Amino acid sequence: MSTTASLARGGAAPTRAERLWVGPALVAFAVIAVLTWVTVFVRTPLAEMPRYFGGRYFVLDATSMLFLLVINSVFLGISVYMSSRISTSRVLARNLLPRTALTLAFMLAMNLGVMANHLLLLWAFIELTTLCAAPLVAQGDTAAPRRVAWHYLLYSSISLALTFLGIMCLTRSAHLHGLQISFMLDQMAQGITQPGDSWQRMGLALMLFGLGSKLGLAPLYSWMPETYEAAPTSTSALLAAVQFNISVVAVFRVLQVFRGQDTSFVSHELLIMGCLSLTVAAIQVMAARNYKRLIAYACVSSSGVIAIGLSVGKAAAYGVLLYIVSNAFVKALLFLTAGRLRAVYGSNEVRALSGVIRVLPFSGALFAVGIFALLGFPPFGSFMAEMLILSGIVQAGNLIAFTLMCTMLTIIFVATGRSIFPMIWGPPDRPRAPVTETWVTALPKLGFVAALILLGVYTPAPISALLVQVALSIGGQ
Amino acid sequence: MTPPLIAFLVATIIPVFFGKIRSAPFWLMLQAAAMAWNTAQHGDLSAHTAVAVIEVLVVRALIAPRLLRRAIARRGEPNLDLMPSNLFTWAIAIALVVLAFEFAAPAMSDRQALTLGAVGATVAVSLLLLSTNDGAPAQLVAVLFMENAIALFESLLPEPWPLPVHAALSAIYLLTVGVGGWLIATPDPATGPAEEASS
Repeated sequence: MSTTASLARGGAAPTRAERLWVGPALVAFAVIAVLTWVTVFVRTPLAEMPRYFGGRYFVLDATSMLFLLVINSVFLGISVYMSSRISTSRVLARNLLPRTALTLAFMLAMNLGVMANHLLLLWAFIELTTLCAAPLVAQGDTAAPRRVAWHYLLYSSISLALTFLGIMCLTRSAHLHGLQISFMLDQMAQGITQPGDSWQRMGLALMLFGLGSKLGLAPLYSWMPETYEAAPTSTSALLAAVQFNISVVAVFRVLQVFRGQDTSFVSHELLIMGCLSLTVAAIQVMAARNYKRLIAYACVSSSGVIAIGLSVGKAAAYGVLLYIVSNAFVKALLFLTAGRLRAVYGSNEVRALSGVIRVLPFSGALFAVGIFALLGFPPFGSFMAEMLILSGIVQAGNLIAFTLMCTMLTIIFVATGRSIFPMIWGPPDRPRAPVTETWVTALPKLGFVAALILLGVYTPAPISALLVQVALSIGGQ
Repeated sequence: MTPPLIAFLVATIIPVFFGKIRSAPFWLMLQAAAMAWNTAQHGDLSAHTAVAVIEVLVVRALIAPRLLRRAIARRGEPNLDLMPSNLFTWAIAIALVVLAFEFAAPAMSDRQALTLGAVGATVAVSLLLLSTNDGAPAQLVAVLFMENAIALFESLLPEPWPLPVHAALSAIYLLTVGVGGWLIATPDPATGPAEEASS
């Protein structure tokens, strides 16, 4: 608890030497992680996957490979942002060592969790990432950041307890049929009875409900906007663009285990949660006057789109994957840019930032680009992904879901534009001199934009093959 | 019903009906002792069983209750009921416990059914505690009760969890009480200049 204790004291001020090495060390760690996984990806043909290691507790397959590449690339951008903020943020500088340690511990748990081949170990790593992130959330600047961090921890524990209840039901189902269930994900399907009984269905439904709550799906979504708004910007980016993905991996693992089963009730559950999330997000985005909260509600709507896409499966699976990968970059871009805006203006209110592009031309433009990508405009990957998901829904013949999704996305588009566009291009409330922006702060965000355009215009063949492989594993065509 | 399971249920149900916040660490300690007893009774004589018992005693019976007691003391709130005492919540709690044992109905061996009943009752009572008490210390106690139920669930399995899984769950339990205790014990600082925490 020395790290949290240090945070509680406000952290001992780091020496100048520490300030000089901690930021670059964080970036170096992120660079090494990206290079390592890119090398592993290049040198390991997809046909040779999965590869098990660590006593089969860990696996390197298409799913883990894809998400390792995504989360570590996003983390590289976040680490550069954090490093660049050390000299300008006194709070970050004061808590530099504990925050860096917690961030690294968070990333270690993320990397191991994504590769976990044991359901309980994966469950444990999701909880571990939450426990690393909670003290980081408590560093925020709302009226009661520790209360928000506690709510975040509490919601997470309840979500994961529900998931665990689901695991209990699966175990009971296996016992009732005289089967022994192994929690090794590659062997778990053998302990699943066919056809599934009511215990098994309840178990699966509870697991997806619990994991859906971790994804910010309605009805247990309220932790997400509250936490993303209250947390320091780099932590919001870590939660939205990195931690989100471990819950996605967990959902994928569950779907992979139950692939051969009749899971129509799961599709209905995902569809209801997805539609509910989109509706809630559309209403809240209309009311939001705070750009960080607006991004947070957009994250709820993204989770809704993912859930609807997963409920359709088959034709929409590739689109869902493209959407998830694109969203990681979009959220990182938006939160990191929002952090820059907040650092200059000292406010999260949309009205206070009117005409931001005149004061921060580069960050203002990047924020606009991020919003367009979020809303699913071409040429970004999210546009292509939404089209594929909508096409999958039409192919599945679910026209009610199609209509609802189109309606809600249109409402979100109009409501977001009404709030954000005057903030970017509107008349300033008082004259401000343009602020100089360094290339170091811009570089990671430009990288995210480049990745988003690449995903929308031209996905390199190896990445496309990886996406197809993962889509097939979750029942895609 | 085996004596360890009776002890575990007593340590779960009594505090919900009659316990105060400051007595919660004691009940958690009792739950952990019952879990260690249960593991020792049903496990074979192996290093794995010994390690599991020691881990439960050290982590769940000694360190965690001490951290919780410190957090509650630092918060310095009045020593209120863990769950608000009224007939309505009592009736729901009793119904949930009965339902949990119904959940663990026939078609399983007696001990398995009872263990599942105890696990289900603990989870249900914890959720009730969460929904009836919005005080952070009571919420933390409910989360810890739930995590103990998860650990007790292990004794249902034909094979015990491998040591890495054990270690991971213990680490999470300890971190939950550590981080949760820190969050609920320390007051929120005064908000500084807006620029400060946008890092």
